[in-house]
Amino acid sequence: MKSRSKLVSLLLASSLTLGIALAGCENSGGTTPPAAQEAKKDPPKEEAKPAGGGGQAAPAATTPAQITEFKQSPFFNGKNVPTVKDRLPSEYKITNEIPANQMKYEIGTYGGNLRTVTSVVDWDADVFVMNNEPLLNTPGILGDEITGNVLKDYAVSDDQKTFTFHMRKGLKWSDGQPVTTEDVRFTVEDVLNNTELTPIYPVWLRGGGVAEGAPMKLEVVDEYTFKLSFDRPYGGILIRFAIQGWRGYTELIKPAHYLKQFHKKYTPLEKLEPLIKDAGFQPGEWVNLFNDKDITNWELTTKKAIGFPVLYPWIMTKSTENMTTYERNPYYFKVDPAGNQLPYIDTIQSSLVQDIEMVGLKTIAGEVDFSRESAALIKMPLYKENEKNGYKALLASMHVTPTDIFLNQTFDDPNWQKVVQDVRFRKALSLALNRKEIIDTVYYGFAKPGNIEDPTFDLAQANQLLDDMGMKKGPNGKRQTPDGKNFTIPFEVGAQAPDIVPLTQLIVEMWKQLGLDVTMKTIDQKLWNTKRAGNQLQATMIWTHTPLWYMGDWGLDLWGNDWNTWKTSGGKNGKEPPDNVKKLYNLIDQASAAKPDEAKKLIEQVKQEMKDNVYYFIHISDVKQPLIVNAKLHNIPSDAAFAIAANFSGEQFFFGK
Amino acid sequence: MINYISYRILQLIPLLIAISIIVFVIIQLPPGDFLTNYIAQLKNAGNDVSESMILNLKMQYGLDKSMYMQYIIWIKNILLHGDFGRSFQYNQPVADVIGPKLTLTLVISVISLIFVWAVAIPIGIYSATHQYSPLDYVFTFIGFIGLAMPGFLIALILIYFVFTQTGVAITGLFSPEFADAPWSMAKVMNMLPRLVIPVIVIGMSGTASLIRVTRGMLLDELSKQYVITARAKGVAENKLLFKYPVRMAINPLISTIGWTLPALISGEAIVAIVLNLQTTGPMLLKALMTQDMYLCGSFLLILSVMTVLGTLLSDILLALVDPRIRFGGVAE
Repeated sequence: MKSRSKLVSLLLASSLTLGIALAGCENSGGTTPPAAQEAKKDPPKEEAKPAGGGGQAAPAATTPAQITEFKQSPFFNGKNVPTVKDRLPSEYKITNEIPANQMKYEIGTYGGNLRTVTSVVDWDADVFVMNNEPLLNTPGILGDEITGNVLKDYAVSDDQKTFTFHMRKGLKWSDGQPVTTEDVRFTVEDVLNNTELTPIYPVWLRGGGVAEGAPMKLEVVDEYTFKLSFDRPYGGILIRFAIQGWRGYTELIKPAHYLKQFHKKYTPLEKLEPLIKDAGFQPGEWVNLFNDKDITNWELTTKKAIGFPVLYPWIMTKSTENMTTYERNPYYFKVDPAGNQLPYIDTIQSSLVQDIEMVGLKTIAGEVDFSRESAALIKMPLYKENEKNGYKALLASMHVTPTDIFLNQTFDDPNWQKVVQDVRFRKALSLALNRKEIIDTVYYGFAKPGNIEDPTFDLAQANQLLDDMGMKKGPNGKRQTPDGKNFTIPFEVGAQAPDIVPLTQLIVEMWKQLGLDVTMKTIDQKLWNTKRAGNQLQATMIWTHTPLWYMGDWGLDLWGNDWNTWKTSGGKNGKEPPDNVKKLYNLIDQASAAKPDEAKKLIEQVKQEMKDNVYYFIHISDVKQPLIVNAKLHNIPSDAAFAIAANFSGEQFFFGK
Repeated sequence: MINYISYRILQLIPLLIAISIIVFVIIQLPPGDFLTNYIAQLKNAGNDVSESMILNLKMQYGLDKSMYMQYIIWIKNILLHGDFGRSFQYNQPVADVIGPKLTLTLVISVISLIFVWAVAIPIGIYSATHQYSPLDYVFTFIGFIGLAMPGFLIALILIYFVFTQTGVAITGLFSPEFADAPWSMAKVMNMLPRLVIPVIVIGMSGTASLIRVTRGMLLDELSKQYVITARAKGVAENKLLFKYPVRMAINPLISTIGWTLPALISGEAIVAIVLNLQTTGPMLLKALMTQDMYLCGSFLLILSVMTVLGTLLSDILLALVDPRIRFGGVAE
């Protein structure tokens, strides 16, 4: 009862704020609601809005004309390219990747080569994150404010159904061709709305971000302005354009001038056939050809990205057996407040090694200038010991929870379901987790107890709860189900991260203290993936993106696989979840459709639901992640920032003396 | 003889067909396929993988067809066009993936093989002729260590030792400035000193076992009557040794060509991973782990063909080299 009344008041509070927010109607960085409303009626004023300066110490951002002189890297001296002023868009962006409270921006100097390492063919997460450019931007990936990025700015209608976007005048692809609304029109009309190329319309581009919503509609206003409209309120689209899912500009802007030569509508099929054959597809499969030639942001580190027009800071120029080279994009649209065209660093070289351990060896030998993805907390002592080799091993925040614990409440076993669906059972297990011990043993103290759920450690209370449930000990000394059947928690984990196996071992021991029968097995990651998809994992561990509120990652398919299937299939498959779970789903859906400030409040409600129901165990948070950077590298955010946000701001890095 | 060879070659055809089917099926036995793997990787990284994307990828990779159709297309392209299909991971034709790695693998393997033979055979002969001498004990001791210690462990110890002593990380065959450069004399010269460690590590166990085999075989031969007779008739000791018993003793070199040939191109997977060598071994391992089926299928097929051909070759060579086998065959 108590929790319910609390919930009611929360709902009341949030609906009140919702009303206020709606009255505000505009979603913008820093403008007051009345001004914003005015701006809506008076389009020219909008342009004075988040033109890209954001929270940075760069008031110049709002009036681009203040920078009169632009500088370029000596890299281009003597190269046959237009002057820097002609290459930059007239509405350039003043960089604002990291909020001012996380980093003091230094004006950099040009030059240098940044070395990264990866152990996966055609994929380097560090380069991907550094190079990826979203349509909009949220400094520090915090989701606090949303500013322009590839798109100059945006305006939201009162009903949150229509979004007006302005593009940057003079923005150019890396081959010098202009970027205009024609690229947007091509992407929406000829790719997204083409049922051959897009057999299933993406849910996130439907109204409200739900499967029942109608596909978005595009209206091209002029060469640099377009509108997107949805059939239901969808303020959440902005955060999706800015960061969620690491989406890039390719979702909405593809180089039409380049891709038209592979599209049936613009190039007759007869002309495409030789290309189709060359690419190794069967005659007539122009769709495969197009998809092969269309490089999305996730493919920017693959060999075939060479020659594809992009908007990234660096473009791939060479890819050999063991090294991929990227060079600065002459047409990149960001400048620093002093008028220097970014990035500062001229080239990136990503080496490919055979094994992730080799990344560690290269790191401690000082052969790496930036490493995030492959750096592991358990190697921190080793990194520190060898810092004399010219790098710094920093600790920054991790953008995922280290590892959460999941009990699948829909695993196909009635006895199991009966026990695990009882909230008392889950609370008892949560009470039996000694978070301090976990943090000290597995994370060397670089983490905090999770604050979403109750972090209390109280074995007596936990035992009491299990006793109340009627889980008495059987002849083998282990607790049985209330009906007197044997009960086991069988963990099956894949070793996706180095902490998963030791953490599971620790938790097995903790839960055994309650008299439960707990076992663990490490299985192949592929088998794990298959079992996960097939509702066959009973108890497991994996990380979630819970610390980033906008990711909307609540591990739904892991603690209630059948229920989640029911949700994603619109009730066609899976099993209908109980009301409390439906309520949670509803809140999550609402949060993903709402604009950021409302969404954050809804997320608080989701967290409250998590706290009340302990659907899964988010026991640890705020874990630190090592960030290996060359000792000379500047513009690295403080340890309060997410490591991946630092990675994201790579165009701001520069080598000091 | 010609009859024998052509008969053997005809025998190979059904064998190779069977091998190709088994290889193809076994690769696909583990749950899921390359795509499920790839998609899981994207999801773990926080990407919303849309169903459209999955469908498109399936079509692009031809994974929407049945396994039986996939096999037919694969084999048809190999036989008719010499096209081994595309590697999913590398997004390149299989031949383009294997080709560049093959050169390096062959260089390392051939040098290792020469190293093994050059070191093991003289030592083996010495050990046999000087049985139970102090040096024989020393070689036997080293030989057993080489046999007992896995190559990757030796490699790890070497890496650790070199790193702690000199601060240099052995991370490949080239120094950074050459890693990306096209082949040139300077690049070869840059590679040679770095080749020493892999060659020694890879050759270690081979050397050790070959010493033991040569020693054992030679000891056997030395006590035979023809040796005693020859010695009694006053044949010079060196001539006696090298003309007859040693020739017998190195027979195993020929009879194992069936394994040596594929070993030349397969590369030592684990050692290569530890030493970060861009050879075919780690490539095959990764291809198997990610179910990059055309890459591993084609490579395993090539290895099988090499094994089968190598066995044939060793049979023929043995007959040529060893008169007893040759005459034995004729008598039949």
